[in-house]
Amino acid sequence: MTPIWSKACLALLASAAIGLTTSAQAADDCPLPGNLRVVIGSTSTGGDTYQNSSIVVDQLAKKLDINAKVDAVGVMPAFQALERSRHGNTIMIFHDGAYLGNLYGVNGYPNIFDKYIVGPTIAINPGNAYLVPKDSPYQTLDDIMAAAGNGKQIRVAIQPGGVSEIGFSALKNAVRLKYPGKEGNIVAVNTGSQADKNQLLFDGAADVINGSVQANEQYTQLPADDQKAMRFVWITARHDTIAQTEAAGMGDTSREQLLQYVTPNVKVPMGDGQDFTFDKEFFFLYNKDMDPAAVKCIDTALADIYDQGEIQKQQKRSFFIPDFKPSAQAATYLEKKSEEYRTIIDDLKS
Amino acid sequence: MDILSHLTPMFFTLIAAGTLIGIIFGAIPGMTATMAVAVCLPLTYAFGLVNGIALLLGLYVGGISGGMVPAVLLNIPGTPSSITTTFDGYPMAQRGEGERALKTGIVASIFGGLFSAAVLFFFAPVLADFAIKFSYVEKFLIILLALTVIASLCSNMLMGIFSGVLGVWLSLIGTYSITEGGNGEPRLMFDFMQYYLIDGFSLLPVLIGIFGLSTILLDAENGFADAPGQGRIKLKGGARFSFSIFKGQLVNLIRSSGIGTFVGMLPGVGGSAASVLAYSQEKNFSRDSSQMGKGAPQGIVASESSNNALTGGALVPLLSLGIPGDSTTAILIGAFTLQGIQVGPLFIGNNMDTWYLMIIALVAANVLMFGIMYFAIRHIAKVIEVPKYILYPLIVMMCVVGAYAINYGIMFDVWTLLIFGVFGYVAQKIGLEVVPLIIGFILGKSAEVYFVKSIESYGNLTIFFTKSPIAAFLWVLIAVSVAFAIYLRVRNRRRGASSLVE
Repeated sequence: MTPIWSKACLALLASAAIGLTTSAQAADDCPLPGNLRVVIGSTSTGGDTYQNSSIVVDQLAKKLDINAKVDAVGVMPAFQALERSRHGNTIMIFHDGAYLGNLYGVNGYPNIFDKYIVGPTIAINPGNAYLVPKDSPYQTLDDIMAAAGNGKQIRVAIQPGGVSEIGFSALKNAVRLKYPGKEGNIVAVNTGSQADKNQLLFDGAADVINGSVQANEQYTQLPADDQKAMRFVWITARHDTIAQTEAAGMGDTSREQLLQYVTPNVKVPMGDGQDFTFDKEFFFLYNKDMDPAAVKCIDTALADIYDQGEIQKQQKRSFFIPDFKPSAQAATYLEKKSEEYRTIIDDLKS
Repeated sequence: MDILSHLTPMFFTLIAAGTLIGIIFGAIPGMTATMAVAVCLPLTYAFGLVNGIALLLGLYVGGISGGMVPAVLLNIPGTPSSITTTFDGYPMAQRGEGERALKTGIVASIFGGLFSAAVLFFFAPVLADFAIKFSYVEKFLIILLALTVIASLCSNMLMGIFSGVLGVWLSLIGTYSITEGGNGEPRLMFDFMQYYLIDGFSLLPVLIGIFGLSTILLDAENGFADAPGQGRIKLKGGARFSFSIFKGQLVNLIRSSGIGTFVGMLPGVGGSAASVLAYSQEKNFSRDSSQMGKGAPQGIVASESSNNALTGGALVPLLSLGIPGDSTTAILIGAFTLQGIQVGPLFIGNNMDTWYLMIIALVAANVLMFGIMYFAIRHIAKVIEVPKYILYPLIVMMCVVGAYAINYGIMFDVWTLLIFGVFGYVAQKIGLEVVPLIIGFILGKSAEVYFVKSIESYGNLTIFFTKSPIAAFLWVLIAVSVAFAIYLRVRNRRRGASSLVE
């Protein structure tokens, strides 16, 4: 049997086995079921959540010698599945959107720090970005803030209530700090998918869109006379995060070029002399009643996987920055992070 | 990469395997092409990009094509886009022409599939540039145009429109999702329903319930009438299939394939709109559409050529813009991202070999789909010779399993199936028209999103008339479509009246 067929057959057998009931335990000291379902807060199998989860879950399954499958069920079904699973048969992987939804008051988003156990962080997608048409009069984010400060309305296409909106809120907050009373000139155009946001830019119905390095980089390579051509004006990730990407960057945009769009080159004041940054981080969530031994088991397995160093290469090839923190550390870190963003959101509300 | 080195027996075996598995997924009520592609997506890790894509394209084409089998034989659309195949396919099957209907659908499918593959190959970048001229306003008008089919399809205009509006209302239960730019607030339900209905009713369980389960319930009124062999649908007995059936259908084939390809290119409009539009345009513009809805092959030709043309159409924005054209290509994009390949406006230019291999895989999948289905169909069609008291419990079981699986194991989807099965049964008893109702349900949510977004983006209602020449042209099509539907109704009424006088 050729290796490719062997792998395919193994993959098929693994998939089929997930449908069977089995009481196999990974190990005596690791009370995880033999079949682990990992739900994600996205319905897309082409997005970063699925891609990153697949990489990690694949390694985790091998390490623990269990069957594990990523199901792209979406946020609400994922939360519901998590609530039903007290024995750790189902766990969840999602990103900062899990708590941002709650901060923005989106219906159905619980306070994850109260309702679930926050598991380990696994990676950062450093690509959260804001773009303008290539022929836009705004060359930089400073131009955009100055225009808003001078009374010009700036329409920003975002998907509300999550990662897409937090950069918008920070921008609005920055205008509030630099040009008090003018923040109302930064206007959200609420929309859905990346395709919808791009379309608003093509139609001239938005001045700025939220996008990502991965999804929009090729558009930045188009000639200026192309209706689809765009330019980055801001990447929300920290400077240190982008500095960890491969030198080649993404597509035809090198790491050095990407660094032009992050702080300190692009400043978005947040108050107290700090600039706003946002790393989109992926982490596990568990049912509140999950056995602490199972939580520890996943922590230990992931620590081993990250110690070996192979997963980091795989993640970096896919434009993710490896970012493993065990559960307890991750929970404290993410809660602190959410409190910082709560301040911005609350300031704007008031 | 050398293209020829990738055209291995493995490449073609995977396409054939994908097509066959896809056909099986499409043919099982509740299983779809999207699900087939999603299940096999992780396999692309093992197979690599080219072979993985070959498998997934086979699944895609097979899944879309397989949907016609239960649509014709059981009156259950295997996929949402084969809903219009039931309109003429099932009546043909009832009069013993199941095999003829299926072969008509298969030939129409390969025509639509190859037509769209050719369009994709020769015009993808140009068409992608054209597709982005369709903003929210134009997309809303396309949905509105598809909704005008209600006027053509109902037997009682007033009841048909009422049923269509009821379908739209049902589609709005849930939330205007925040992931679509809405406010995420629950509506049209009581508080205790929020846990189950936050995302509304799922399309496929509703579809299978209203079409499949209600048909079974209606038949169940007859008890075991066919137990001794009476009342059973015969496989043969009606007219046999011959290619002469396509005489005079060239315009229908090209128009429907063109509509399918074009609608596939528009992200978010959805595959069901393509077959509904193609069907309604054939009904309005053909010389004689009096038999459509009663078992006319031209209806199957319109439906199946358009839904298979979706495949190439949906790949246009995927490969030219990095934007999936439909739910299946949205999963297909995962095959690229899992391999770390960017899909965007430079994809074709940067990956010429992959592009050529995808076209070859698409054409091969269509040819293999034809080969597999055309020659296997006489055996598949025998399913309708199975006595109903054996067949129907099996169908109900498959429907339940399919409904449970469609959203990765949500029990409420099974309840949705049963609720809408009973609802469909009651609806037909009290005179509601299920076809307009389901079309309203399928298109309602998109209509809402595009309508609201148009207003939000442009501020007033006049934008629907003044946005662009494309919008004006779509209004003309809407007006013509409605006018034709009224004209045909008046003409048929007069004919009916004069035949009564005679």
